[in-house]
Formats: sequence, structure tokens, C-alpha cells
Amino acid sequence: MNILQRIKNTVRSRSIHVAYVDVGSCNGCDIEVLACLAPRYDIEQYGIYVHNNPREADVLLVIGAYTPGWEEKLAMVWEKIPAPKAAITIGNCPISGCLFDRKGSFVDPPVKKHIPIAAEVPGCPPRPTEILQAIMSVRDSVFANWEEEHP
Amino acid sequence: MKRIVDVNIPLGPIHPCFKEPIRLKCEAKGERITGAEVELGYMKKGIERIMKGRPWQEVMFLAERVCGICSVIHNMVFIEAMEQISDISVPPRAAYLRVIANELDRMQSHMLANFSYCYTIEHETLGMYLLDLREQVMDELERLTGARVTCAYIIPGGVRCDIPKKEAEALPANLDRIEEDLRRYAGMFEGGPMIALRSRGVGLLTLEAAQRAHVVGPTARGSGIAVDCRTNHPTYRKLGFVPITRTDCDNYARVMLRFDELFQSIDLIRKCLRELPKGVVRGGGVCKAGETRYSGEAPRGELTYFIKSDEFGRIVEIQIQTPSIMNIEACCHEMIIGSDSIADVTSTFVSADPCVACTER
Amino acid sequence: MTTYLYEQDLVTQKYRILVAMRHDSLVRKIAQELNIPVQELRRYLIEHLDMIQLENLPARAEMADDHADQGDAVARALGREKYSLYLRILSGATMDAIFSEVDARVHTGTPVDDAIAYGRTQIREALKI
Repeated sequence: MNILQRIKNTVRSRSIHVAYVDVGSCNGCDIEVLACLAPRYDIEQYGIYVHNNPREADVLLVIGAYTPGWEEKLAMVWEKIPAPKAAITIGNCPISGCLFDRKGSFVDPPVKKHIPIAAEVPGCPPRPTEILQAIMSVRDSVFANWEEEHP
Repeated sequence: MKRIVDVNIPLGPIHPCFKEPIRLKCEAKGERITGAEVELGYMKKGIERIMKGRPWQEVMFLAERVCGICSVIHNMVFIEAMEQISDISVPPRAAYLRVIANELDRMQSHMLANFSYCYTIEHETLGMYLLDLREQVMDELERLTGARVTCAYIIPGGVRCDIPKKEAEALPANLDRIEEDLRRYAGMFEGGPMIALRSRGVGLLTLEAAQRAHVVGPTARGSGIAVDCRTNHPTYRKLGFVPITRTDCDNYARVMLRFDELFQSIDLIRKCLRELPKGVVRGGGVCKAGETRYSGEAPRGELTYFIKSDEFGRIVEIQIQTPSIMNIEACCHEMIIGSDSIADVTSTFVSADPCVACTER
Repeated sequence: MTTYLYEQDLVTQKYRILVAMRHDSLVRKIAQELNIPVQELRRYLIEHLDMIQLENLPARAEMADDHADQGDAVARALGREKYSLYLRILSGATMDAIFSEVDARVHTGTPVDDAIAYGRTQIREALKI
């Protein structure tokens, strides 16, 4: 890895775009992601820009327990994100279905079955700081050796 | 239903302005919207189906997770419905604490709604101010109940814990500070000429159309219908609650009404703290068999639970009628029809404070 | 005809909305009133209304029971505003045509019950069930 590639990797990992997609949660995790935007947590000071556009995103936040409405669409959204990319699940729902995964419900967790997941943040709902920490810990690995692999 | 239209613009399910997935298929003639079709199904979890046959202890937590934004009121309406079925009385102190938790929840929900509206009309400064203020309200809620979002504070026969002594002393001062900031932000919204251009006269919902669609909450009160379930609630009656209405019927009225209600909520909490009776907060009781229909005022409007339970306190039949069902329906089939531009569709939609998780359950 | 890039078959999801407790009892009530099979009415509703209208059917029906056709007993029995303005199952013009026919029959001396029954067959015709 030459010095230029290393600088490129580092710089790109300090400026990432985030898209979030709700695949059937109770909205609780949704607003905690939104709370990350608030001046108190200020996600943008870390160079993370929340813009809900998958085509520009580097990191996809997946919230919720995977409902039938998303059957083909979540995979499509994942394909639309340009590489390098990573997906983080927020909350208990994408991991286990939380309390929605019972007999008679329509959900189909875990989300891991449907798209590759890089990190999981448990909690019902997790605090904004935990969400922030997860994004920050993933961003280095996303661009870790991207430049050498794709010169 | 298939129709031939001029231009058909699908918005969503992933859209920068929508917090939750919903798909609006707008039919437009040039820039003018002539119709819209809503596609749901992105959040359908089948909560009512899971609830059936489960004891109330489990359903209580499920009810709270119908909606994460207004979780306190879902908790409150379900528990009060169970109390009505089983004739459980609430200690007066617990009844007042319920009102405090509920009003704090309403405040954070209204601030989030107004943030979303400001964000959608691209007034990010005001949006961020409101989101910052919302964090302070969330702090108060966390200090009172112990959790930020799904706090399960209200239980049959009372509340889970008493208000901490420190919090009871700090809350009035914090409310003063929040009110002062809020007055400034409400003034910014009220007097902003650009905001008025984007909001006044946009997204009209006439009184008749609102009545036909059974519109509730701030959306109805913004159209001049004085409907508020808090007027039927015994504790709110004791506090002398009177609903606020506005008659402009547009986006501006709905957002300003939420600002007005924020001040009203602050006053209600103050009054509660002043008159807070002494005594126990957990009376206890046993849930029995029965059938009832119980309504409460969620931040978005009238929330109704239809519950049938058996003698062990298990839920046999349940249906939840959430306010967002009526509001989104009126929004998509009345308000956005005739909008002059596609850009007004998102802002009108957000002004009705839609909550898709509630709508689909 | 509009075709979207990604279109899902919504029939199952719409059906799930219609079989919830209150929706189910409402659909059965309408089906009984108009004397049509429940499943046929469900099919009609799924084809002609979008998902949020289906969700809102019980609330609208409640408002129709309280406020629709306050002045006119015949219109109320037929459900003129209920089916057109409130539930939006039929278009206003169709319903007006049916109502004026029924009204004319009532004025020419047909018993009200027979006229309403005739009106209901006309509604059935309009629904094409």
C-alpha cells in the first residue's frame, strides 16, 4: 500500500454518508437514529452525513424485523449502494425479531438472512450514542484496504 | 385500480423526507396533483394477531411497541381500558403522574413533528433548534420514568415508580427554560416570511372533508373541529383542560397548533406538579373478564382500543384504531389533492404528522 | 397505463387488513345489507380502494352512521352518502343516478321498502357483483 492510497483510505473513511431503511420496527429505533442528528450528539461533527439516499450511501442502517413488504426491495436497496459499503442493524428487531417474532406475526427475522450485515447494535431501542459508536467503528473497516483492492 | 393519468410520480418507500417507509403514488397533471394512491405493507407486523390469547402482562409491552414515538399513550390507553374492565381505581397521586408522563411524551412528539416539518421545507436551523429542545424533554422523561422511549411506566392500579425528589424539584425550572426557548422558536415560525410562503394556504383540509374522514388530533383541530379525548378524561377535567383550535385549515395552522399545544402541555405539567397529592402510587388490582372500547388522546389524536378479555386477564379480542389511520387517509385523499407543486406533497404529508408504524401495526 | 419499475402484488396484504376484527364485521354488515357474498365484496374493495382507505373503513362507517343523510329518510335507508361520500365504494354520479330513480319510484307511489330493494339491486349492478 503506497502512501497516497493510505491517505485516500483515511480521508474517505472520515467522510461517509449514511442511509437508513426501516423494514418494520416500532419507530422507536427510528427516532433514536434521528436523535443522532440533534446538536447534542451531532453526528456531522464526525464527518457522518445522514442523507436518506441509498445511491450515495456508504453505510446502510437497517431498522426493524423484516416485513413481507420488503421481500425483494431490501436486497434491491442493498444492490443500489455503491461499493465499498457496510450494513449495520439497529435494535433487537433485526437480530431476533424482539417481541414481534411470535406465532402469527408476519415478520421474518433475522435481517442477516437477507443482506450481509457488518455490525449489530442491540437494545430496545439503543441509545443514540451507541448507534453513533457503531457507525464510527464500522467506518474504518469499510475503507481499510479498499484502494489496493480496487486501484 | 388502473387508470390512465398524465404523469405518475411514486414517492417512497425510501425518501429523504419520510422517516418511515410509505409509498405515495401521486397522479399529476403538469405540476398539479389530481390524485394519490397509498401503498402500505412495509411495516405490517401483525401486532394484534400476536396479542390475542396472551396475558395482559405481555400485551402491555406489545401495546407500547405499536408506536415508538407515542409509546406512553399506548401504554396508558391499554392499561386504562383494562382498569375500566376490571374496576380498578387509581390512587390520585398516580393519576397526576400519568398526566405528567403523558404530557412530556406529547411534548417530545410534537417537537419531533415540527422538526420534521421544518426539515421538509428546508428550514434546517429551526428544525435543529427544535430537535435540541426535544432532547431536553427526553431527559425529563428519562429522569421521571427511567427510559427514553419504551418506558412501561403505567401499570394497572397506578404507576411503576414515584417521581424522584430531585426531579420534582428540577422539573419546574427546566420547564421554564424550555418554555423560554420554545417561545422564541414559535415566534420564528410564526413570523418567518419564507415559512409562510411554503405553509400558508397549502394543504387545505376543509371542515366537511375532515369530518367525513373522521380526522382527529391536531389535524382536526387545525381545521376548526374541537375534538379532544382529554376533555373526557377525569384527571384532565380536574385540571380544567380546554382544547385549542385554529380555523386556517392549512399546513401553517397545523404546525402552529402543535406549538400552542406545547405551551398548553407545559402549563398542564406545572399545574400537576403544584397540585400533586400525597400518597401511594401503586394501588394494585386484578384484571378481570370484560369487553370495552376506550379512547385516549395520543399526540396525533384519538387512539381507541377495542378489548375483550377473559377471567384470567388474557386478551381474547383486540383491535387498535390509531389516529394516523384517519389522518394519513385524509392527508392523501383530501389535503394533497390540488397542490400546486410536487414539492408541496411531502411537506403537506409531513404536516399531518403521519406515523406509519401506528397505521399498520 | 402506468407501470412501475417495482410493483408488488398487494392482494394478500389488503386481505389481511380486511380480516381484522372491526373491518371484518363491517364488511359482513355491508354484504348482508346489499345481499352479496362476503368474499365478492372483499374482492371488489381490494380492487377499488387503496390500502389506507381500507384501513380507514370502520372509522368512516362510524362517521357515516352519525352524520350521513340527516335530512332524507329514503337516502339514509339507501345509504346514499354512506356509500359514495363516506365509504367511497361508488362514485357520486352513479349513486345520484340510483337515488333519483329510487326517489322517483317513491313519489309515484311504490312502497318505500320495495323502492329501497330496487335501489339495492341497482347498487349491486353498479358494483358488478
